Amino acid sequence: MAEEFEPKIVAFLCKWCSSAGSDLAGVSRMQYPPNVVPITVMCSGSVSPLYILSAFNKGADGVLVSGCHPGDCHYIKGNYYARRRIALVKELMEYIGLEPDRFQMSWVSAAEGIKYTKIIKDFVNILKPLGPQTNLRRSQ
Amino acid sequence: MVNLDDLKKEALNLLKDEKVKYIIGYTEGSNGTSAAPAFIKNPEDTDKLVWNPGCFHNLTRFLRDEKKRKAREKHPDERPVGIVVKGCDSRAINVLLQEKYIKRDDVFILGVSCESTGVIDEKKVAKKLKGKKAQKIEWDTNRNLVVTTEDGTTKIPADEVLAERCVECPVHSPVVYDIFFGDKIKRTTDAQFKSVEKIENLSQKEKWDFWKKQFDKCIRCYACRSVCPMCYCDECVVDTISFAVTADTTAEEKAQRIKWIEKSPTPSETFIYHIIRAIHLAGRCIDCGECERVCPLDIPIRFLNKKLEKEAKSLFDYEVGFDPDQLSLVSSFKDEDPEDFIR
Amino acid sequence: MKKRTGVFVCHCGINIAGTVDVKKVADKLGKHKAVAHSEDYVYMCSDPGQNLITNAIKEHKLDSIVVSCCSPTLHEKTFQNAAKAGGINEFQSEIANIREQCSWVHKDKEKATIKAEKITRSAVERVNKNESLEPISFPVTRRAMVIGAGIAGIQAALDMANTGYEVVLVEKNPSIGGHMIQLSETFPTLDCSQCILSPKMVEVSKHENIKLLTYSEVQEISGYVGNFNVKIKKNPTFVDPDKCTLCDECTKVCPVLTSDEFDLGLTGRRAIYMPFPQAIPATYTLDDKHCPGLLPIACGKCADVCDPGAIDYDMKPEIIEEEVGAIVIATGFDLYEKEEMGEYGSGKYPDVLDGLQFERLCSASGPTQGEVLRPSDHKVPKEVVFIQCSGSRDPEQHCAYCSKICCMYTAKHAMLYKHHVPDGQAYIFYIDIRSGGKGYEEFVQRAVEEDGVVYLRGKVSKIFEYNGKIRVWGVDTLAGKDIEIDADMVVLAQAMRPSKDADKLAKLLKISIDKDGFLQEAHPKLRPVESVTAGMFLAGAAQAPKDIPEAVAQASGAAAKALAILSQENLFHSPQVAKSIPNLCTGCGMCVDVCPYDALSLKNGKVEVNEVLCEGCGTCSATCLRAAIEVKNITPYQIYEMINASLGG
Repeated sequence: MAEEFEPKIVAFLCKWCSSAGSDLAGVSRMQYPPNVVPITVMCSGSVSPLYILSAFNKGADGVLVSGCHPGDCHYIKGNYYARRRIALVKELMEYIGLEPDRFQMSWVSAAEGIKYTKIIKDFVNILKPLGPQTNLRRSQ
Repeated sequence: MVNLDDLKKEALNLLKDEKVKYIIGYTEGSNGTSAAPAFIKNPEDTDKLVWNPGCFHNLTRFLRDEKKRKAREKHPDERPVGIVVKGCDSRAINVLLQEKYIKRDDVFILGVSCESTGVIDEKKVAKKLKGKKAQKIEWDTNRNLVVTTEDGTTKIPADEVLAERCVECPVHSPVVYDIFFGDKIKRTTDAQFKSVEKIENLSQKEKWDFWKKQFDKCIRCYACRSVCPMCYCDECVVDTISFAVTADTTAEEKAQRIKWIEKSPTPSETFIYHIIRAIHLAGRCIDCGECERVCPLDIPIRFLNKKLEKEAKSLFDYEVGFDPDQLSLVSSFKDEDPEDFIR
Repeated sequence: MKKRTGVFVCHCGINIAGTVDVKKVADKLGKHKAVAHSEDYVYMCSDPGQNLITNAIKEHKLDSIVVSCCSPTLHEKTFQNAAKAGGINEFQSEIANIREQCSWVHKDKEKATIKAEKITRSAVERVNKNESLEPISFPVTRRAMVIGAGIAGIQAALDMANTGYEVVLVEKNPSIGGHMIQLSETFPTLDCSQCILSPKMVEVSKHENIKLLTYSEVQEISGYVGNFNVKIKKNPTFVDPDKCTLCDECTKVCPVLTSDEFDLGLTGRRAIYMPFPQAIPATYTLDDKHCPGLLPIACGKCADVCDPGAIDYDMKPEIIEEEVGAIVIATGFDLYEKEEMGEYGSGKYPDVLDGLQFERLCSASGPTQGEVLRPSDHKVPKEVVFIQCSGSRDPEQHCAYCSKICCMYTAKHAMLYKHHVPDGQAYIFYIDIRSGGKGYEEFVQRAVEEDGVVYLRGKVSKIFEYNGKIRVWGVDTLAGKDIEIDADMVVLAQAMRPSKDADKLAKLLKISIDKDGFLQEAHPKLRPVESVTAGMFLAGAAQAPKDIPEAVAQASGAAAKALAILSQENLFHSPQVAKSIPNLCTGCGMCVDVCPYDALSLKNGKVEVNEVLCEGCGTCSATCLRAAIEVKNITPYQIYEMINASLGG
């Protein structure tokens, strides 16, 4: 029997909230699937659409961008710019017929280890039935 | 009605009085329907200017060449360049001003109103003429295209030959100009995003199939990029080092360039190219439709840009090219920007 | 140019090694082309662990290290120091977090090991493109400026001046003291406001380290933390304070009568005046807006009677330039105007007062010498209605926020009123009583129990003049009935709003304001006295409504923050800042617009980074369409490689 499909997720986490939130999940020994590899960036506002597309291009089945809640950004307003930019990317991806569920954004504060865990669990569950992402994946 | 003689007279005066370096306008094209861009330096050549339904080019694209040329000159001529613009083109000027690519006194704007019509879609006209060659085309006052061929004249209703972007156009007359030609007609359209809605209504799979079919045609000739007045970057992010390497480019800088996508037009790379281009034009595209017009493979590129124009308007209440002083779409935000997609 | 990276995988006892096969991770990474050495150890953060790294750097001639261990928040610094001890730049050290983000959250050993490899490889790719950086160092101008000389500004200035640093204190009014000097008594102790504030004001005026600039406004500012250049416009007072003997002859001859700001219009003053007897500086000011003409031809009476010749009609505004290293902004508040309150008579009834006017009425130095009298007919009011939340907590019509101090000062007002008019009756309409604070709840109880103040829970819908009284229509929601009171006087606890023109100053200083116009702190919880601009600090009601002890506490906090800058000869700043790539920049300025720190500017059509102001958030790099700006050591190229590594590619 073929092995169950294990989606690969790249998560761009801002250093101050979401990465700290995932640290808290760790400290609290919460369990979530190992499908996600985090990349800690300074701010969700620094996540360029190119990063997201590149992740899909390099074979990600799902991409998560996570930042501080509105009003809590360590850099005051980076997450607001991220919110606007990512809304546009998301709209466009959906318009082109790419599965919109493959790309998510979340607000995870440094205190929300539980939320981070849930987001990853849910994301994996959403991605599994979708199967591998091939539309934007560079052919080897 | 736009009086061509007025346009010629003003152009003549501008050149005679040496108020402008030269004038970018339209002249008679070679095939009877399409006008051709013209660069007029001599006052006597102003007589060659035309204004007709075939003036579909967005001439603001040439400001890019002008800027580059000027940058190379030791003692540049600081006079403005005269430029003929339609409503859509004038919004491009506003975006270029907003992005500080040009200064207001770099250009002397001859704004021409599209009044109740616009410009034609060459392909639609060619279809109507069934192989006959047009000698002359013009609008009459009842929104008909009057085509003169060797067999005489025929009238075709405007709506059958107008470029699709003109049907969806919300402005019709220049929003920034130094001299205005024609009538300022306020025309509203309820179909501003009709083409987009058509695709939005498809299922996810249908959308993908549609775009897959379109992008499979793409040969990545970059004509869309070359013709776009907003694609003025010295080096495009999708390219690895190419034309922006100058004598000052250090080895380190070269090494720091990333190959975000491959050059070959494989499906994944082509998709990403078009997504990046659309994202980079979000809040900047003024829907002049040039990218789509020049595409040798008839890919409806406009639909991509138009989609983001629609979202900018509906999500962020942002409209492009009306105010050169507004912050650009992605360098601004509102507290109440939607976030229902965020977990 | 390949690097020689060392990879050090920590067991963290069994915290990591229990789930992740650390040896396998070290082995696998050892095969990476840029990795010259890899090993694992039980506790990398222990002294032997750090020595192991330091020695390995020397022994294997490593130029960069990756430590796979716990979160960088814990030991990033530890391993940067180990790198330094080994003789390499601290920015050639990266952490791969394989504990919090891997071993602790997974149980499947095989999968966790693969993930740990990816995380570690991602860090190796990153460190391979890291630049060696040195902290940015720059000298500090070791003096401070305080803008606004109310209680917060005075406190901040004194705190800093007493530490030995020079302070420039700028106040836009002719005298310092702010609103606190207008108050009669203060809650919850009922000590006299002037009695506690004026000694501080005198201290300011006599302090050798304080340069006081009254009647002055900040006009221009440039520079950055440690090195601000501020241009201040000092308005002419037309009176030379050195010559003036305070004989008061001038006011006796001045023909102009205008409303007195200090008494909030309850009395009048002359065009030449002293704001109040305890004013600092103690001198007169000629108000050129009301003086019939500065030409002696027009009037000149005051100059005629001035024996010492202190009056100089030719005095001109003066521009003073000051170099300072830190700035405390304490521009305070104003009351939400009564005129805005359509439902409460729009300020047209003389016997409807705002909170500050009532303070003046109760003050021994006030217009009635401390007797509570109706402004309209100077009779003693027998029934007074106090309305709380007048303009506050009303998002539809007025201010959405709670002004915080009104519950307390209204209780105080009612009490003071009862002390002045023992046979009178005080009613207070309230929405909630918010009496959080030391001794505050007891104070409110005292008003009810000792002074018989009647608290009515509900809002007042309308007030209007009726039979020489003010008829108040309200509701008592607890009793569930409508209330009608014919009051002799009504006092509105008007909302606090940022002082007039605070927004203009904020723009000038390039600090942000919140939706209500109060100055925005850098972080609502963790950086409440800092502005978003490094070197600028906030104190008092300019930041949010607050009472005196809170304003004083914040002022001292702001002063301490400013002193932390002034106490250093040089400041250091993280060098992990933005860097522009001029060849690609077209000068569109989008990055300039998004920068939260004003660190970017356009010069000759290209963006320039002020490395001292940049905090390295990278929002500029994501905004730039041309990849013409990036943050050092987390460049798009690095992220690109990290994405690749994270996906096992």
